[in-house]
Amino acid sequence: MEIFDHILFGLSVAFQPVNLLFCFIGVLIGTLVGVLPGLGPVAAISLLLPATFHAPPVASIIMLSGIYYGAMYGGSTTSILVNIPGEAASVVTCFDGYQMARRGRAGPALGIAAFGSFIAGTLGVIGLAFFAPPLAAVALKFGPPEYFSLMVLGLTVLTFLAGSSMLKSLMMACVGVVIGNIGLDLVTAQPRFTFGLNILLDGVGLVPLVMGLFGISEVLLNVEEKISEREIFKTELKGLLPTVRDWKESFWPMIRGSVLGFFLGILPGGGAVISSFVSYGVEKKLSKRPEEFGQGAIAGVAGPEAANNSATAGAFIPLLTLGLPSNAVMAILLGALMIYGMPPGPKLISSHPQLFWGTISSMYIGNLMLLILNLPLIGLWVRILKIPYPILFPLILLFCLIGAYSLNNNAGEIGLMLFFGILGYLMKKFKYDGAPLVLAMVLGPLMDQSLRQSLLMSGGSGLIFFTRPICLVIFAVVAVIFLLPLVPLFGRLRKTVSEADDS
Amino acid sequence: MRNLDLTSGLFWLVVGAGIALASLRYGFGTFVSPGAGFITFFAGVLLCFLSLILFLTSIRKKNSLSRLGDLWKGVEVGKAVYVLALLVGYALVLQTIGFLVSTFLLLMLLFRVKAKYSLIRVVLLSFLISFGAYLLFDAWLKVQLPKGILEGIL
Repeated sequence: MEIFDHILFGLSVAFQPVNLLFCFIGVLIGTLVGVLPGLGPVAAISLLLPATFHAPPVASIIMLSGIYYGAMYGGSTTSILVNIPGEAASVVTCFDGYQMARRGRAGPALGIAAFGSFIAGTLGVIGLAFFAPPLAAVALKFGPPEYFSLMVLGLTVLTFLAGSSMLKSLMMACVGVVIGNIGLDLVTAQPRFTFGLNILLDGVGLVPLVMGLFGISEVLLNVEEKISEREIFKTELKGLLPTVRDWKESFWPMIRGSVLGFFLGILPGGGAVISSFVSYGVEKKLSKRPEEFGQGAIAGVAGPEAANNSATAGAFIPLLTLGLPSNAVMAILLGALMIYGMPPGPKLISSHPQLFWGTISSMYIGNLMLLILNLPLIGLWVRILKIPYPILFPLILLFCLIGAYSLNNNAGEIGLMLFFGILGYLMKKFKYDGAPLVLAMVLGPLMDQSLRQSLLMSGGSGLIFFTRPICLVIFAVVAVIFLLPLVPLFGRLRKTVSEADDS
Repeated sequence: MRNLDLTSGLFWLVVGAGIALASLRYGFGTFVSPGAGFITFFAGVLLCFLSLILFLTSIRKKNSLSRLGDLWKGVEVGKAVYVLALLVGYALVLQTIGFLVSTFLLLMLLFRVKAKYSLIRVVLLSFLISFGAYLLFDAWLKVQLPKGILEGIL
């Protein structure tokens, strides 16, 4: 079995001391930002990105990935103990996790969330190792028209699944495409939308954009809120290990959640959030006692927690095989890989096997580290949760400021970040989603390039997108997605996710 | 949402039109040889079209009327503006007075935005954090932070 040789090779990379250290730092920071509401993996990864420029590329990607799946673990702690989701994918965990805590079962809730995440993370990593190489082999046959159609599909799925209205998400995708094309044109070297500012000649950096849209805007919104003390559930955290009965009730939900999460995670936009909702719905349907859901059913914690973790593994597939990010975190990783000189795409696995297999194997090790970190260190996370917001928010801002400045040692980047901070603040007020903008911004230049190449190939005919079989299928799927909201069932799914995002 | 969507729809309509016009100036090119403004022209036109739909549908909606001012009802918007002003000020003086001094001052002011901590506590905390951040990022992670007025000392 060739795949096992690859995994063994990956493990040999992941077990190198420097990679182990970076993996540990990643999952630790990930858990921390997951635990703290208002600071998510997107902001944390963009913050640390400039610092990784001085570190080895493989170790850096291992660390940044660790932050992502670590945050999924950490988010559940806050959901269970405070009834506030540490990050969006943990919204569902609040339903039953907090109820369990109120009944004095915070320990088993946290325990099953950690075990569920571990099992799902592991299954997700195995899925990634099996599915990514064949997909990459298929993707090698893709030309510019196929890539362009895939990017259109990605943006369409994202806008369909995004929290706010589909119309507004599409609008944000358009804005994102324009922002992505700011700067010198690659072909004509003509400056576009630079307004005479030198800082814009090289284009808008992903880091100031993301930190502004997600970090600064979130702080501004929180600062203007009238303060209310967070109520941390005061319960003795004894017996983190779930009982045999707990295991019996959670085992299949975990397995189902893992499989669901993995495949939904491949889809662009909110994979982790959506998969946790779908898993909750499925478990409630399949349960012999559906009335217990919302009252502290352990299956309602195990399934969604498993789903949101394996979704993070699934999300790596389009990035590592096609070079197309499926969410904001993957978009930042795409940027990181470009900077490290390892552009993601179908050739990544063969040209940089140490990166691909090393990262996958490190995710497995990282999941193990998280299990060890999460159970005994629960007390520490609870204490961190008690840091008052008046102390916390200046620290978040400081990290954002340093992150933006350190990109080019230029205070202008801070100005750019603040601009996007104001934009993000207003977007949240007017209920526009930031994710389609970020993704479109990353895909914008790639779309521009592949569209131009496609038109060159066809001698200026747009028909090329409808005469090549793969493109035709992809555009047919795009058309179906646009019609889906008219089907009541899908309309309802969008509404549920949208409400979850708002909460 | 009526007024909100009406306002934002109008805003993006204008932005979209601006983008489309500017793109034409950059050069649309031809379909065989697309110019610098080719894709942004389409993005601008599509943005206009979508904003127009949002604008028109929000006019037609009769219920759930909410005003622009409602967005800032019951919140202390002054604090958000104050924090933003501090950050802009920080960006302006960072290069001249340096990271340590500007960060120390910024943190001192920020810590007192949401709570009334004693001056000693605020000064101590601001000093420790700004110095700690300097050590972490400049000395350890090799991010070159501006030294400003402390150039000779650091």
